[in-house]
Amino acid sequence: MLGSPDAAEDAVQDAFIRAYDQLAQCRDPDNFAGWFFLILRNRCFAERRRTKREAVADVSQDELPGPGRADRDAERSETQQLLARGVSELTAEQREVFVLKHVEGKSYDEIAAATGATVASLKMRMHRAYDRLRAYLKERT
Amino acid sequence: MREFHPLVKRWLDGELTADQLGAELAAELAEARALLSGVDHSPVTLGQGLDQRVMAAVRSRPATRWQRAWRWIGTAHELRLRVRPWAVAALAAAAMLVILLAPARQVRGPAVAQAPESVYVKFVLFAPGAHQVSVAGTFNGWDAHATPLARADAPGVWAATLSLPAGQHLYAFVVDGRRWVADPTAPGVDDGFGRRNSILAVTPRGARVS
Repeated sequence: MLGSPDAAEDAVQDAFIRAYDQLAQCRDPDNFAGWFFLILRNRCFAERRRTKREAVADVSQDELPGPGRADRDAERSETQQLLARGVSELTAEQREVFVLKHVEGKSYDEIAAATGATVASLKMRMHRAYDRLRAYLKERT
Repeated sequence: MREFHPLVKRWLDGELTADQLGAELAAELAEARALLSGVDHSPVTLGQGLDQRVMAAVRSRPATRWQRAWRWIGTAHELRLRVRPWAVAALAAAAMLVILLAPARQVRGPAVAQAPESVYVKFVLFAPGAHQVSVAGTFNGWDAHATPLARADAPGVWAATLSLPAGQHLYAFVVDGRRWVADPTAPGVDDGFGRRNSILAVTPRGARVS
């Protein structure tokens, strides 16, 4: 989701701390995982917005490898690297549904239950993501 | 931007098989396959120090208002009071008031029954022709209707059990709401109006009528 293991760890850490602070607001303790997922999701979206603002302020940053990206890229195939960068160009909502479906292997129904979005809107996001990724890959191959 | 054919998108979603797409979509299908082949399924592992970092961050969190309040309650504190002379006088007056009012309330109020020095006393009167019997005395403000007696098992016998505070009590039975009758089993004293009242002494060990 965030394109960097370090950023992902920071997000997980922040999400745990936020969950600790707001534990009293967890209305359904039996669904703690779902509640925590929403906290982590919000954290990822916030991080995404923040990095986007910084990228706008300094466009050159976008072309630089992020922390940990070089090591990770070395282990990936060229196609995987290309797609990963294409995914990072998607909107946060498009990226979320793409990652949950094609990386995590969740169904649309499961994603809808976790995010609160309808299956129809999730499919719409996903189909736009397919088109954008197709264009991204086409431009670079 | 060229868009994928809707059927190809459905294949990407896993809703269709390649056979259902048709030969004319073969090129797009190849692009779609290439796209999915780039998905990295390798498991994501978080750093080993994450647990420690999370716990260290949680421990360093500032306490919430309730946590601070609970901690304050559980901690010994030194209290310094600065009392003005007029406040002392007011407190003393209030204490005196409480002391003066407390006994009066004990006599009249229902708390008498729960007072530790109270004793249960059974009042019994043999009045075979009576329709209604009650007992009135110093313990109920001489109210002829406050404490009715009930018919006992034996014919003509009326009885009631009261919880009375320790001390001496004067009383009389009231028959049919009009006739005041002294207890024939207890000593009596003249009430100064031509009638006699009975005397009952209650101590923490029991009640005596003689």
